[in-house]
Amino acid sequence: MKKIIAADHIDKAFGQGIERRKVLNGVSVSISGGEFVSVMGPSGSGKSSLLFAVSGMDTVDGGQVLFDGRELGALKENELADLRRTQMGFVFQQPTLMKNMNLLDNIILPSLRDNRRNVKAITEKARQLMSKTGIAGLEKRDITQVSGGQLQRAGICRALMSSPQILFGDEPTGALNQEAAEGIMSLFADINETGTAVMLVTHDARIAARTGRILFMCDGQIVSELRLPKFRGTELEGRMEQVVTRMRELGI
Amino acid sequence: MYYRIIRGDLRAGKLITLTTLLFVTAAAMLVSLSAILTVNLAGAIDTLMTQAKTPHFMQMHSGELDRARLTAFAEQNGKVDEFQVLEFVNVENARIIIGGKSLADNVQDNGFSTQSSMFDYLLDLDGKAVIPADGELYVPIAYMKDGTAKTGDTAVIAGKEWTVAGFLRDSQMNSLLASSKRFLVSEHDYTAIQASGSTEYLIEFRLKELSMLGAFKNDYTSAGLEANGPSITYPLFKMLNAMSDGLMIAIILLVSLLVVAVAFMCIRFTLLATIERDTREIGVMKAIGLRVSDIKKLYLVKYAGIAALGCALGYALSLVFRGMLLDNIRLYMGGNEKASLTLLLGLGGAVLVFLAITGYVNRVLGRFRRISAAEAVRFGTTQDKSGGARQLRLSANRLLNTNIFLGVKDVLARKSLYVTMLAVIIIAAFVITVPRNLYNTIAAKSFITYMGVGNSDLRLDIQQTDNIAAKAAEVTAVMEKDPSISRYAVLTTESFTVLKEDGAEERIKIELGDHSVFPVKYAKGRAPDAGHEIALSVMNADELGKQTGDVITLKSGGQSLNLTVCGIYSDVTNGGKTAKAAFASQAADVMWSVIYAELVDKTLTGGIAEKYADRFSFAKVSGVDEYVAQTFGPTISSVGTASRVAIVMMLLISVLVTVLFMRLLVAKDRYPIAVMKSLGFTNADLRVQYFARAAAVLAAGIVLGTILANTLGERLAGALIGSFGAASFEFVADPLAAYLFSPLMLACPVLIATIIGTSGTGHITISGHIKE
Ligand SMILES: Nc1ncnc2c1ncn2[C@@H]1O[C@H](COP(=O)(O)OP(=O)(O)O)[C@@H](O)[C@H]1O
Ligand SMILES: [Mg+2]
Repeated sequence: MKKIIAADHIDKAFGQGIERRKVLNGVSVSISGGEFVSVMGPSGSGKSSLLFAVSGMDTVDGGQVLFDGRELGALKENELADLRRTQMGFVFQQPTLMKNMNLLDNIILPSLRDNRRNVKAITEKARQLMSKTGIAGLEKRDITQVSGGQLQRAGICRALMSSPQILFGDEPTGALNQEAAEGIMSLFADINETGTAVMLVTHDARIAARTGRILFMCDGQIVSELRLPKFRGTELEGRMEQVVTRMRELGI
Repeated sequence: MYYRIIRGDLRAGKLITLTTLLFVTAAAMLVSLSAILTVNLAGAIDTLMTQAKTPHFMQMHSGELDRARLTAFAEQNGKVDEFQVLEFVNVENARIIIGGKSLADNVQDNGFSTQSSMFDYLLDLDGKAVIPADGELYVPIAYMKDGTAKTGDTAVIAGKEWTVAGFLRDSQMNSLLASSKRFLVSEHDYTAIQASGSTEYLIEFRLKELSMLGAFKNDYTSAGLEANGPSITYPLFKMLNAMSDGLMIAIILLVSLLVVAVAFMCIRFTLLATIERDTREIGVMKAIGLRVSDIKKLYLVKYAGIAALGCALGYALSLVFRGMLLDNIRLYMGGNEKASLTLLLGLGGAVLVFLAITGYVNRVLGRFRRISAAEAVRFGTTQDKSGGARQLRLSANRLLNTNIFLGVKDVLARKSLYVTMLAVIIIAAFVITVPRNLYNTIAAKSFITYMGVGNSDLRLDIQQTDNIAAKAAEVTAVMEKDPSISRYAVLTTESFTVLKEDGAEERIKIELGDHSVFPVKYAKGRAPDAGHEIALSVMNADELGKQTGDVITLKSGGQSLNLTVCGIYSDVTNGGKTAKAAFASQAADVMWSVIYAELVDKTLTGGIAEKYADRFSFAKVSGVDEYVAQTFGPTISSVGTASRVAIVMMLLISVLVTVLFMRLLVAKDRYPIAVMKSLGFTNADLRVQYFARAAAVLAAGIVLGTILANTLGERLAGALIGSFGAASFEFVADPLAAYLFSPLMLACPVLIATIIGTSGTGHITISGHIKE
């Protein structure tokens, strides 16, 4: 499989003067097409920062990131925006939907920027995605009129509209109850099944155990990596056991 | 905790904090100033009216007067404390010449009287009731203010010479709104001048108690005493005195309201942004059991600080500036510095602003109540009540570019947010358009016919000389033979007495001659023909209560003459009170003559004017353009200046408010902006969205402002011009200027300001706002 992301010794620090703290410390990681990766680690270990760095949403101070062979640091802001819109999808813990718009409008919003003429085709695609993700019929609902899980599904629909190469999720299940979280996780698995790479940040072993490759982070570095066979929906307890054991070994 | 919130806030919006401080300071200064002015004005009026012993009730009267009957009434009436009848000689303005210039164009009725012995004193600038020596003239203070007279000037009144010895404060007629002015002369001089004008009586009473005024008025009316003229009471005198400075105070208060509104806008935006940012913390604080009032206090501290600092600064500034604004009051009414009270009330004004600001902050913070811990955790932001615009769906939009659509939709969805900017644009469009249209209108050549001046090329004035009629004939004899003159007309102004319905008499100036040669604009009817017709100026028609078709009776050399009113026209010359007729007169009382002429070749006006001026030294010769420039030039140019000042001021304010508004909006919208960016919208996309918002507000504001200007504004301007005697006013607007250039002139700076104001979108990082 071809490499989508190749990060090489990236550094990132926040703050000024004595408050300056290194958040990423020479991290290298690569993700290939169709992979299902999760990033685990304690709060503040730099998981989100890694995700933002490899997706070009934030700049890096040192090292370089290749996305689909292009160096992100060399791209202009507009080119980065274009990449985000056409090649990547994002889902965050907070469903970042726009107020004053119904679910359907929220989902088609980024696609309409380039392709206003195809409104019909775009809307059709959005409806298909909505029924695939289990929120068919909620098109006209306001974002305050649906549940958190439904909002998150709408966010996923929006992210999938451009058929991205990779879907990033920063604790996408963090604000959901277990049942809703498991629903979302199987959705991610389904999406991954169709060939889209997925990179999830989480600190929940239950979630990480469903992915095929787990990166463990601590103090701005990837300290370990665990590969698991494809999850078929049956052996979850055993996989969780492995993850937890590894975490205990690492002291996190 | 306090420290963290305050520091975080101040850092996040140094500019906005500073602007808020600035506007609070300005508001406090203005409110404090108006408080100071109000106290001083009230005090000064009281002092003046006490020193002058202003009458509690005054009846003006012209015609016969039965002194004995009045005295008997005053003695019998238990409410009367003092009573007197003052005389007042009204002299034709053209016959009053001060420092070589006549008051012919003055709008006031000017009259002469002697110092009263009992009350209603005319005071000099030291507050003393002066008694002039023979040959000394004391002049109303208003004429010192407008430069008509200086101490030491020579005054010629009805042929007799005086020296201006000083100036007067008149507790009754100080204000320019009172249409009469009293000059003071010695008893001896008064007798000499008495025959040169018409005598009016001021029947004056001071009561034992002012509260008896209502009852006394009834007593006076029911006694059937002299009452040919207006009656004025103490409270009305007070109001007249308070009016012009009161107006200034009202304007200052109005401006301070505007300033407070802008300060509120700043506060609202910063607070909303802060609340949005801190929603989760606030939710948590609520969850752990802190009361809303406790949480409010944390945020209130910062604004109380800003408000306190601003109000203190504003108060200090008001003390610096008060001198400037008090000058006028000091001049007209004398100093009245109750220093401690002034300082206290000024402080009161500043405190009021402080309370208003903190009260407002407290109200905005009431939103805390609406933040539920659950919602805060789920959305991370508060949910604005989204108003409408739900029917505007992206999925249904085929028309607009997506970014523009988003901008317009946002304006419609959050109307209340954009109201401030909309209001500013409406006001700006209005204030730019009205003076500009007014200026265009009065500067147009056709406008002079509105003002009572015929549309001719040359004008010869013959006045202040004797044998006017013969001299006019001399001139016309030459004009008749002059090939360079195509037409001319002689208009002779004479003074007549009009018999009013109630039998009273009034002097009226009538311009006699052929009015069809160089017609003026008639608001109603037409020019008088040779027969028994008369046209009245709007002001005279009002005063005499005549309409076209009514009959007027003139007294002329013992005979009476009935004339039908055939037309009503606008006039601003001679104080607006003129009349035109064409009957042959007995040449009884010629005041002046004007000869109008039209030239074959208008380019030669200068040379021909010079020729006639050389030949007829008794005439004042001027080209009409020059005459208009001289007479109305200052007015036109001051309206032009006012219009330019208004344009500059409004553009500055619009630009300032727009930059500020856009910055606040971007600051408030950081989160949705970050989300947009994460979705792959570029900075340029975002700028287009904000540009579309500003353009939508701007378009609505300009359309509304222009409509208002052409309806309400036209009526206001019409009323203003009407008060000088010009009727049936309509804007002469250049449509290209009014509907294209003016809007563009406002739109361009505002849109540029939008670009500047929204440049901050580029600095909003995604990671700073939606990272978990
Ligand atoms: N935009 C930012 N500005 C300043 N500090 C940041 C920013 N993003 C992250 N940090 C800091 O970097 C550290 C790592 O953050 P993050 O990558 O979000 O960790 P994680 O997602 O693993 O919890 C934290 O201490 C956080 O406070
Ligand atoms: Mg994180």
